[in-house]
Amino acid sequence: MSALGHYIEEAGIATVALSLIRPQTENTRPPRALWVPFELGRPFGPPSDPVFQKRVLLAALRLLEREDGPVLIEDFPDDDPRAAPDPAWRAPFIPPTVANGDIASVTSRLEAEILLLSGAHQRWVAQTGRTTVGVSGMPIGDCVRYIADWLRGKAPESPREGFSAPLILRFAVDDVKAYCLEAAAAGTAKPSSRQLGDWLWNETATGAGIRALRAAHFDSEDSRLKLIASNFIIPSARLLP
Amino acid sequence: MTRLTDLPATQAKNLAELPCPEFATRPWVTGPALSERRVAIVSSAGLVVRGENPFRGRDPDFRVIPGDTKADGLLMSHISVNYDRTGFQEDWNVVLPIDPLNELAADGAIGSVAATHYSFMGATDPVQMEPHAREVADRLKRDQVDAVILPPV
Repeated sequence: MSALGHYIEEAGIATVALSLIRPQTENTRPPRALWVPFELGRPFGPPSDPVFQKRVLLAALRLLEREDGPVLIEDFPDDDPRAAPDPAWRAPFIPPTVANGDIASVTSRLEAEILLLSGAHQRWVAQTGRTTVGVSGMPIGDCVRYIADWLRGKAPESPREGFSAPLILRFAVDDVKAYCLEAAAAGTAKPSSRQLGDWLWNETATGAGIRALRAAHFDSEDSRLKLIASNFIIPSARLLP
Repeated sequence: MTRLTDLPATQAKNLAELPCPEFATRPWVTGPALSERRVAIVSSAGLVVRGENPFRGRDPDFRVIPGDTKADGLLMSHISVNYDRTGFQEDWNVVLPIDPLNELAADGAIGSVAATHYSFMGATDPVQMEPHAREVADRLKRDQVDAVILPPV
């Protein structure tokens, strides 16, 4: 963001960046930046908290009125109240994951799990009025089939012109993860990202299936597939030792 | 997890030591009071309006996000998987604060909100992004924008 700020400011428009990684911002030295002590992925802090979000936004915009730059880097003082776990949250019911299940079993259970979560996902859409599923361009059932084909050793073609098959696989995984996480968050409780991530990666067949996908293609001779499977389907913090 | 120190050591080190471009100049543009500014958002979250092409890897170009985009119309195609997406899934304003920005305009805290916002893919080489960033700057000027907020993800 700091480089974008430099280019736009150089073109004559005042900018203020939000910073999630203070050392990066200190290195690039943008005209103005507000560092926020929030989790990566949440530059404006807690979801569904418009008062807090507006405070962050206004704190950043106020830097535009300062005259003691460049460079200005200020800190937002308050932590994200939604970072704490919600003890009232309960994961949706799914059959317990079987450790060390073979790949055929994991694939079948992943397919069944997505069907089982469809009711919870419908409740999520009714509750929030939105879904972030859709980046692959395929319906969720097609995403599951595409992933299952790769797990079963097939190499399905890309259904989307201009996008390689490994990249579509990546987006299908993104959509399936989003579908599960949205389904798990349906309801009145406010789970933290860690609660949701722990559930996805430790307790679901979907998490096990994505791990199996990585294991199956980690050493692929297709460099694009190898790159996607190795680095771009499982968060590094969730890789098993 | 709220700070870099809470991340896995390797990820934290990579993020903190990410190569950054060296700039010969330090631009600094001033302007009227905030209550008179027209504000746009330029995100680096790899955002894309539903139905348009997502970012492919480290594409250096940008996507247009009309100001009247509905919450269900916004998707995220950032290349990285090493950050939280559940906040964005619940509330897009965590990443692209269009609703609070509109409220600040209604309150009179800012002058107005731009007709169009923009998104880049933040993990891209900044040198490759430069011509696209300058094109966005030209578009912003045509929209009379004189203040830009730049959220990462």
